[in-house]
Parts: sequence; structure tokens; C-alpha cells
Amino acid sequence: MVTKSVDLRSDTVTKPTEAMRAAMATAEVDDDVLGADPTAARLESEVAKIMGKEAGLFVASGTMGNLISVLVHCDIRGSEVILGDNCHIHIYENGGISTIGGVHPRPVKNNDDGTMDIGLIEAAIRDPRGEIVYPTTRLICLENSHANTGGRCLSAEYTDKVGELAKKHGLKLHIDGARIFNASVALGVPVNRLVQAADSVSVCLSKGLGAPVGSVIVGSKSFISKARRLRKTLGGGMRQLGFICAAAFVALKENVAKLEGDHKKAKVLAEGLNQIKGLRVNVAAVETNIIFFDIVEGSKITAEKLYKKLEEHGVLVMLEGPLRMRIVLHHQISSSDVLYTLSCFQQALIGVQEENGN
Amino acid sequence: MFFNGFLDFSNFLSLFFFNGWSFLETSSTCHGINSQIIWFSTLNSSTMVARTVDLRSDTVTKPTETMRAAMATAEVDDDVLGADPTASRLESEVAKITGKEAGLFVSSGTMGNLISVLVHCDIRGSEAILGDNSHIHIYENGGISTIGGVHPRPVKNNEDGTMDIDSIEVAIRDPRGELVFPTTKLICLENSHAKCLSAEYTGRVGELAKKHGLKLHIDGARIFNASVALGVPVQRLVQAADSVSVCLSKGLGAPVGSVIVGSKSFITKARRLRKTLGGGVRQVGFICAAAFVALKENVEKLDGDHKKAKELAEGLNQIKGLKVDIAAVETNIIYVDIVEGSKITAEKLYKNLEEHGVLVMPKGLSRMRIVLHHQISSSDVHYTLSCFQLSVVCTKKTGATRYQHLGMFHTRNLILKRSHS
Repeated sequence: MVTKSVDLRSDTVTKPTEAMRAAMATAEVDDDVLGADPTAARLESEVAKIMGKEAGLFVASGTMGNLISVLVHCDIRGSEVILGDNCHIHIYENGGISTIGGVHPRPVKNNDDGTMDIGLIEAAIRDPRGEIVYPTTRLICLENSHANTGGRCLSAEYTDKVGELAKKHGLKLHIDGARIFNASVALGVPVNRLVQAADSVSVCLSKGLGAPVGSVIVGSKSFISKARRLRKTLGGGMRQLGFICAAAFVALKENVAKLEGDHKKAKVLAEGLNQIKGLRVNVAAVETNIIFFDIVEGSKITAEKLYKKLEEHGVLVMLEGPLRMRIVLHHQISSSDVLYTLSCFQQALIGVQEENGN
Repeated sequence: MFFNGFLDFSNFLSLFFFNGWSFLETSSTCHGINSQIIWFSTLNSSTMVARTVDLRSDTVTKPTETMRAAMATAEVDDDVLGADPTASRLESEVAKITGKEAGLFVSSGTMGNLISVLVHCDIRGSEAILGDNSHIHIYENGGISTIGGVHPRPVKNNEDGTMDIDSIEVAIRDPRGELVFPTTKLICLENSHAKCLSAEYTGRVGELAKKHGLKLHIDGARIFNASVALGVPVQRLVQAADSVSVCLSKGLGAPVGSVIVGSKSFITKARRLRKTLGGGVRQVGFICAAAFVALKENVEKLDGDHKKAKELAEGLNQIKGLKVDIAAVETNIIYVDIVEGSKITAEKLYKNLEEHGVLVMPKGLSRMRIVLHHQISSSDVHYTLSCFQLSVVCTKKTGATRYQHLGMFHTRNLILKRSHS
């Protein structure tokens, strides 16, 4: 019998707080297409300021933020973008940069820490002398924190090195900063320092910061001008969107401070899981709020079976392979939830061992 | 003439009071009215704040208190990982109203049309037939091509929003020419397109589409306006269509969004493409809650908008120098033309109107568009008429004497009215 629900599938599941609902109910709004919605404008300025960029643009989702950014930087037919082979844009965005934008991806191996080797990035940049057969490289994309490698943080120094490389070859640099605030808190580095080298950043407000909807893209004024137009083309030109922005504003003001708590709980949970026979977690790799864990080979349980058992106890996780799962912490997961989760895992795995006579 | 009752009179008065001095300063053609302005300004001791009457579009509607309340208490969930309950309820409701299997909430009408065209035309080399003056073709950044790789085949829109059935049929590509032709996959109609397409016409286009194995999509941004104007249920109007895009943020007054409707399989593909375009919004229920209120409360107000539009159109048509095809005003949209040969300049007219707080949408060198919505009152309509009258008078380039007489005639009438009311 399910007595509790602990949703660890993603930090996107965060429900809006009372403060957000109140802000939405009283938001000042206007038609953002015919003119400018005042609340949206305020949010865009605020995020741009925090990021140290000239201007911002609110968009419906992180996918739209990345799609617009790539397409604006690569607005000439025949463009190519270098990005990690395990990054969100390449794996989880329906290949939109190509199917929608006509941009060719050049994936470079992501290391376990979310970086790509600088040497490999450089080797992937197309030599203009081969242009008769090559597309033209226009953009490099980084992801910080890097979700698929476990919410790993890219340092400001590494980002700067990639930025220098981009400049050297006349390329732009975009950062998928869906969880940039998590990276900033984990590294103890201000966000604007982390993204200093980037021409554009896409920042999610609907993940760990807990807003119901949306992301903000930031960049130069001319970049944002083009982005606004492309946003309209994609159908993201919303009318009185101040409501959503009001909630996002609250998220920005109130919830950055809670991220550290999420990281601490993630560490506690990771350590606890690693102690359970049959599971393995690389605890050192847990830098932010994301935990990947594996079922030890030779154990008599599959990820799918474990997933089902957990679900029966109201614990929801994300399946990532036959023996791999992912957990994401957020501010609506309490310490007691963490302990409950650990006990559910223990029960599920002990049960298996008993079944198999261990 | 235009002034029925004291309310309208005081609008006119406030107009003079507020703007009278600027009239004196800026317009040498208005000298004849000057003495009258001074007289009136002494009558009205209270200062009237300038009004804004935003007639640019019905998208400017601000959410009502009920909508705000609904948003504040909406039940929400992650609509990408699962299904937001409020969004699901809205989508089902709109599907039911339109007689289709399923629905999908999207951020805008543009996204609704873009997704619909791209899902119907998901094979490379597709072509869509649509009106040469349709919203998709003119005002959606050419997205079906630049984003979707779909080729448009525009067919002439008649004045009434239809395309000749024969012209549509001729535009359908002959498969025997496929070596050099794209493949026609889709016909798009727009209802209302200022004017309303009848269920019978839509049915005929649907039959043509079926005959050639094509799909039919209706850009139903203002389908409720068409339904109310024609007295035909929405479901009947869109019966022949495979998909419809319905706006909730226009006349129905929701802050954001549209809903696409169609078959279950169409909506499944649409949901995926919506994600690809970046329209996969998480706790989207908030927006849907407001849209729900719009659907429940504001469809019945559309008839009022249409009546006000007719009244305004008739009033404008009486102003010398302006021309409105009254018969063409079927819903909430009015096109106003500046008569050729008249001495009014469009630019000066817009500026003058703007100074009085009346906003319209220029649509060319001598044409403008006005759109009524439920947040425009009857008093706003009368105020607008007076502003037009004044603005027209003051933008004419000929000498004062010709129009001085007109101004004095009006004000003399007003004095008489005032003393009797």
C-alpha cells in the first residue's frame, strides 16, 4: 500500500509554492507580442544581470532555449555545431537542431566529468580549406552542470579554455545552463563568472529552482533580438505571459538558497545507497543533485524489477538502462523522504537476496 | 448624430478638455473650434484622465479576476514526464466541443498551425495549399518552410475569405509530375478570416481533399467568432477538418494559448513535435486553468463584440473621408479605408488617434484594422467614434474655413443637447 510518494524522477516535478501562486494571481501582465509584458521584461533583465549578459528572453522550456540559441548562432545554411556526445541537446531534444533547424551536429566524446578534451574539440573544428565537402563549424556547446554524466560541474577555468578556443577559430560558445545554479552553488563560484566566456546561456527556472514553467536565454542585445523573432516563428510568442514569469521570479529569489540542501541530501542518499549490497554508486561523482547508480552485475535483480518494487512503495526513479538508474533531488524532497527512500531500497534488495537464498 | 446621451457627450467633452489646448497649439486648421473649446472647458471642472481604447487586436485582453483566481488554485503536474491534470481536462473539453478525438494545448496559434502543418506534412518534399492572404502564409514568419521544410502553394483568397474550389483543385500537384513536383499533402482554411466560412463551403473543400487523398487543417484562431456569427455550432463548422487550431487568447480572453484538436494518432505526433519545438511546458495547468475560464465564460460575450463592431463600423462609414464595407463586418474585425482623393493622411490619423489613447492596427498605406473584444465597452465605442471624427477633421490638409463650419456645427448641436438633458 502506498502511503507516501517520493518523486525522484527529476527536479522538473517541483510543484509551485504558495508564494508563487500568490505572485501569479497578482502579476501585472500585457501582450508580450504586440508590445512587452512588464513582468516578463523584469524577469529577463534580472536574469541577464545575474548572468552578466546584456539581455534576456523568456522561453517555454529548456529545449526551446537551446534550440533557439543554436539556430541563432548557426543561422547560415550549412552550419555545424560541436557538442558532447552525451549532452542533453544531442540525446534528449529530438534532434531538433537538425530536424527543425537544419544544423549539423559534430559530437565529441564527453568524459565522465562532463568535459570534452580540448584537443578533441579542436580536432573536430572543420578546416575552412575543406569547405567544398565540409559544413562550416559555427558553434561549440557546453552543458553545465552536465546531466548525463551525473550532474557534474564544469569549472570556470575549463569553460574559459573552451571559450578561448572558440574565439581563436571565430566560433561562438553556448552553454546549456539548465542547472547552472546547481553548478554555481556546488563550485562556490558566482554564476556570472561561470558563464563569462559564453556568448549565450540557457537557464532553466523550472528545474531545481522550482518554477512551474520556463527558461531564460541570455546573450548580447543583437543575439536576443534575433532570438525573439525565432521564438515567435517556433510558436513561443506568448501573450500575457507575465503570470508564468511572476512564478519564475519567486523561484529565482527564494530557491537558489535551497540548492545546497539538495546537494547535501543527494550525498547522504548516495552514500546510503552505496552501502546497500547489490548497488554501486560513485559517491565522489555526486557533485550536485543528481545520482546515477548501478545494480552490481551478478545480482539477481534487474533495474526494471527494482523500479517496480520501489514504485509499489511510492518511490519514483528514472530507468537509465538494464542495470542503471537515476535519482534527482529537489527542494520538495525532505530529509525524512531520503531516509524513507533508503529503507525502501534496502527492503527491495533484501527481498531479492532472500528469494535467491543469499 | 453620434452622441446618444450624456455619457457620450461627456466623453466628447473630456476629449476637448484634455486635448483642447494641444489642438490649439498644434493644429492651425482647428481655429474654428477654439472658442468653443474654451467655453466647454469652463463647464467641466473635473480633470478627466486620458483613456486607452486598445483596438489593435483581441489578443490584448487582460485576464479577469475569475481567471486569476483559477490560476492561483490550479491543480498542476509535470506535463512532460506525465500529464498535467488541468491541461488534460482542457484538452478533452476542447476536443469534445469541436467533435474531435483528442486535443493538445500549445503556447500560441502560430505553434498550433506550425505543428499541424508539420505533422500532416511529415514526409520530405511536401506541399500545403493555403490562402495567399492567410495568417499562416503572411504572419507566421514562413515557419512552415524555414522550420518545417514544407513548400507553400498559395491560392488567391476572395474577399469573403474563401478560395475558389476550382483554383484549389488546379493547385493540387499531379502525381504523374512527381519528378519535378513536390507532393501536395494538405489544404489549409482559415475561419474566421475577418469573414466567416460556412459549414457548406468547408464541407466542399473537405470533399475535395478526400477525393485527392489530402488532409484538411483549419486555422480556427477565431472559430468561436465564426460559430457565433453564423449561428452554427463549432463542431459542425469543423466537421470536415482533420485538425483545427483554436485560440483561447484572442476573443475568449485567456492570457496564453491555443488548443489543437484532431485524431488520437495526430495528437500523439503533435505532442512529440511540440516537445521538439520547445513547447513542452512543465506545470502548464496554470495557463490551462485560465483558458478553461475563458472557454466557460467568454464565448457568450462574442455576440456583444460583433454588435459593437457593427455599430462602430456604421459610425466610421459615416465619417467623410473614411470608408468601411459594412456588409463585410461579420464578426469582431473592421477594416477601415481612407478614401482615395481625401486629404487625410494615414500617418497623421494614427498619430492623432494615439494621442487620444485609441490604438488601431495600420494595414497598409491607407487601410487600418480595428478589432473589438469583451473588454471594449459601448462607451469605448462612442469615444472611439468621437476621436475618429476629431482626428479626421484635424488631419485634413486643406484650409481652416472648409472644416471650421463643420466644427461649429457640431459644437452648436452639443450645446443644445446639453441644455435639454
